[in-house]
Amino acid sequence: MGTLPGGLETEKARRLLSYTLRRVLVAIPTLLILIVFSFLLMEAAPGSPFATERGVPPEVLANLEAKYGLDEPLWKRMAIYVWSVVTQFDFGPSFKFKDRTVNDIIAQGFPVTLTYGFWSFVVAVIVGGTLGILAAVRHNTWLDYLAVGVSVGAQVLPNFVMAPILVIVFTLWLGWLPGGGWQGGQWQFVIMPVIALSTSYMASIARLTRSSMLEVLNSNFIRTARAKGLPMRRVILVHALRPALLPVISYLGPAFVGMITGSVVVDVFFSTGGIGQFFVNSALSRDYSMIMGITILIGALTILFNLVVDILYAWIDPKIRY
Amino acid sequence: MRVPLLHRAAATEAFLGAEAVAGRSLWQDARTRFFRNKAAVAGLVVLIFVFLFAFFGQFLAQWSNEEVDWGMLGSISEMGGPSIANGHYFGVDELGRDLYARTVQGTRISLMVGVVGALISVIVGTIWGATAGYLGGRIDGAMMRVVDILMAIPYMFVLILLLVVFGRSILMLFVGIGLISWLDMARIARGQTLSIKNKEFIEAAIAIGVPTATIIRRHIVPNLLGVVIVYSTLLVPTMIIFESFISFLGLGVQEPNTSLGALISAGANQMRYGVPWQLGFPLFFFVITLFAFFFVGDGLRDALDPKDR
Amino acid sequence: MKTSIFALSTVGLLLTSAASFAAGTHPETGEALADDQTFSYRLLDDVPTLDPQLIEDVSGSHVARQLFEGLLNQNAPGDNIPGVATEWEASEGNTVWTFKLRENAKWSNGDPVTAHDFVYAWQRAADPATASPYAWYMEITEIVNAADIVAGNAAPDTLGVEAVDDYTLKVTLNNPLPYFPSMTTHATLFPTHKGTIEAHGDDWTRPGNLVGNGAYVLESRSLGEGFTMVKNDMYWDAENTIITEINGVIVNDSAQALTRYEAGEYDLLEPVPAGQFPRLQQERPDEAHSVPRLCSYYYAINVSDSGPEALKDERVREALSYAVDRDVIVDQILKGGQTAAYSFTHIATAGFEAPEIDYGTWSQAERDAKAKELIEAARADGVPVDEMGLDILYNTSDQHKQIATLISQMWKQKLGVEAGLENQEWATYLETRSQQDFDVARAAWCADYNEASTFLDLMTTTHGSNDGKYSNAEVDQLMKASKTSDDPQPNYTRVEEIIADEMGMIPIYHYANTFLLDASLKGFPYENAENNWYVKEFYRVAD
Repeated sequence: MGTLPGGLETEKARRLLSYTLRRVLVAIPTLLILIVFSFLLMEAAPGSPFATERGVPPEVLANLEAKYGLDEPLWKRMAIYVWSVVTQFDFGPSFKFKDRTVNDIIAQGFPVTLTYGFWSFVVAVIVGGTLGILAAVRHNTWLDYLAVGVSVGAQVLPNFVMAPILVIVFTLWLGWLPGGGWQGGQWQFVIMPVIALSTSYMASIARLTRSSMLEVLNSNFIRTARAKGLPMRRVILVHALRPALLPVISYLGPAFVGMITGSVVVDVFFSTGGIGQFFVNSALSRDYSMIMGITILIGALTILFNLVVDILYAWIDPKIRY
Repeated sequence: MRVPLLHRAAATEAFLGAEAVAGRSLWQDARTRFFRNKAAVAGLVVLIFVFLFAFFGQFLAQWSNEEVDWGMLGSISEMGGPSIANGHYFGVDELGRDLYARTVQGTRISLMVGVVGALISVIVGTIWGATAGYLGGRIDGAMMRVVDILMAIPYMFVLILLLVVFGRSILMLFVGIGLISWLDMARIARGQTLSIKNKEFIEAAIAIGVPTATIIRRHIVPNLLGVVIVYSTLLVPTMIIFESFISFLGLGVQEPNTSLGALISAGANQMRYGVPWQLGFPLFFFVITLFAFFFVGDGLRDALDPKDR
Repeated sequence: MKTSIFALSTVGLLLTSAASFAAGTHPETGEALADDQTFSYRLLDDVPTLDPQLIEDVSGSHVARQLFEGLLNQNAPGDNIPGVATEWEASEGNTVWTFKLRENAKWSNGDPVTAHDFVYAWQRAADPATASPYAWYMEITEIVNAADIVAGNAAPDTLGVEAVDDYTLKVTLNNPLPYFPSMTTHATLFPTHKGTIEAHGDDWTRPGNLVGNGAYVLESRSLGEGFTMVKNDMYWDAENTIITEINGVIVNDSAQALTRYEAGEYDLLEPVPAGQFPRLQQERPDEAHSVPRLCSYYYAINVSDSGPEALKDERVREALSYAVDRDVIVDQILKGGQTAAYSFTHIATAGFEAPEIDYGTWSQAERDAKAKELIEAARADGVPVDEMGLDILYNTSDQHKQIATLISQMWKQKLGVEAGLENQEWATYLETRSQQDFDVARAAWCADYNEASTFLDLMTTTHGSNDGKYSNAEVDQLMKASKTSDDPQPNYTRVEEIIADEMGMIPIYHYANTFLLDASLKGFPYENAENNWYVKEFYRVAD
């Protein structure tokens, strides 16, 4: 596009802005619903965060419940919780990690998850995108079949199978990489989590790119461009790439959220200390405040990412209606 | 529980044939194109094989999925491998249970999860999306806001919570998967409806006073079928992968029942202990099932998408 | 009872040899030491807290034992040896205990460790404001007023512990407790540094903040990943501490943990994955170990009103128990040195003589035959055996699943009793069990202290963890009498016999600890039945 008349450009920007605002306004009730929903869900859960196989004497249990405010009625706890989350961004103390607050744990674990999530995302987009374009350009050649085969294969191999294989190969046999840990995110510790996390998304992106690229390459304007004798490389990079990437972009939101969720597996296998593992463990041990904290965080991220992707989409695609 | 895709397509075809003259050639074209696609046909053949395996495979089994072969216990890595002679075609699992019977039963559960998830998504999503798209205006806005809100919920986390809170059961798994799987479908169906809505035959129906519900049911929904079938074929493998993840977390179906995800997860745990068949057979069926669904889905999309001529 | 060890003179002796181990040999054994004196071990999950008064788990206690030091420590066989206290004695018939503290004990910030620190910590452990999940431990120490303080009926400073002077601690108990000194080796009774806790609040256990009196200080900690501790130069016995650094590595997945051990990433892996012990023992005879662990695995039978009618029939319970082939479970599934159990108390419990239980001496074929006979007799009498819809409750774990699966098949094939499997995750399972919402439930009981009553008390009517609600007046009376008896063994034997007779529970096996330990690491207390280890006793020899 590029050379729209100035008036249209401002008009577009204005509508984009109002669209963004509307989406942000929807996000607020969404988050509140999420908080209330998960709060009530936890309330309905059988079992107590303080239960042990040995059994806790009632007087000890009473002290624990008083300390964590569980002796208050439900509505009051919920009100206090929402209030402290909204006004002070305070998710309260963890029930399991008794000398930590949920904010501490998220502050430590989330950057870890975000780091390997980000690199997985980058790898998935670059490798997947390239693979998809190559396959489309060399449609129905061995390269295409190889790319499709590899990407479907990568998509269907569960990462809880891939992760142990990676460790056996790179740690036990070759001795190249440490089998787990994070150490502040040194590169040796990041590689295997990124491989385990990115492959299935890489594969999805490759398949998506391939099919939308094929569609674009068969469209009239590309045929025209090629008929005019433009070099293939130029046709692809200048004309075909942008429309071909549109469906891919709409996939990026769910993909990023999926990677954060996939961190459960990465954390279990590579002991990175990310938040995925904390979520599952806290759900199992009824660490109420931690579950709530992570659910809200992931919810907010999901909303943010879908929003960013939608805006990106609208910005790239001139046809979009808001 | 089975939804043979071609069968449905054929039924639709008959239905459309009576409805609109143009329908017949469209669906016939699609079929021709689909059968010209080698990968898709191969996928379909594999899929039929997997379905036959899952639903009739137990008749070939010499053991049930829960019987323990006591003679095997304690020396499974030496004696528990695949063998025709002792009736354990796929070997035995870590408790001496017949892996063939367990793989058959696990494949069945995984297919059921996938198909039921897709079915819920098709039914709820199509109706929701078609209604919103057709009615438009405020109602459309409100209905799509609901979808937006639900989409923002980190569903994997909520599903884990649901399974933890209400205990594991296959019903809960269906409910959880059903809750989230219809959202994308609703969006797709709505978009498609918007483009159909202004066609002449709809306007004609409105003009002669056909009730709204009937228009949606008789005219909008059938025209969405193409895109819905394609999308749901691609949704099934997603659901199966999803279930395997839940099983990995230990929140899947109750023993002695199993699923491919649970079998793979158990097999992966034993990866280095000299029992490769425990991972190999379930993983093989998992992989070919997903491969087949992907190729059939891609084939259907190419066949049904008129843009890609 | 007076114990005194001339620790100071030993230190003097060892000081002269300190120079020699700098040159690379162990001061006592003379073995050549490796240059790298680090020790690392795998943890299944991160420890919830490093605060000694709040610790309630085994792995947390392992960490606390390196960072803090209580009045007494345990030596390799598990006997008491001096920690901060050098001498201890009882008076007034074991109800008053006086501990003499060493004057050279220091906190890691240089402050002296005094009796006041113990008073502070113990009051803190009982204080409801601390809300320690292990406050019940204070109650069972029998320290005066402990129970009232926990219940909120007395002020924390009324606790029966007193600093007579800086280096003398006097403890007053409600009831005579000959084993009180042993209880001070537990983390709940470790001292804590008042100034640090007051300055930092809940953050006091962070690296940099944490002030301890153990042989190591916390260097760094990353939740879910691991932690590092380094040698504490302020520790009174620092000269004889050889290991310079401890790394805790968290690995959730057990197969993954084994792979990483084999890749040499840590020295200690405990436990080894189920069923893999024989193979590892063959491949790594110097590294694979199996030692008894004081826990018993059993199936609780719900005999309360909410349980199935048929389980109230003794014959049905006996048949179910007889039909369980324990040898299959320990020899073919667990394969790690566990022992088949026909009685409840772990056979390795100190001073306990395992009673001869009748059905334990039979062959499995005899047990099976008897079981069939009993169940048929019950059926013939109209006991609703086939209508009970038995479910086995267990918590999510591969091993529990395997055992439950096998047992359900044993019952089905031998007795024709159909048993479903009910897998619940931990918190739900605990609640279900404690509300008697089950038929038969997998359970395990670990010793609080190394004495048989820690097991057998469980079967008394009022015990909080008697989830099957088994009740027998004679058992209650025998256990009560055993507390004041000079020789409780006959009571214990009788109780075991009654339980086996009425089949109040189904004992399955007695635990063993299976672990892999790097062969160059020495000084590990293999004989310590409570699995209490102190890294300051470890050293690494040169290859």
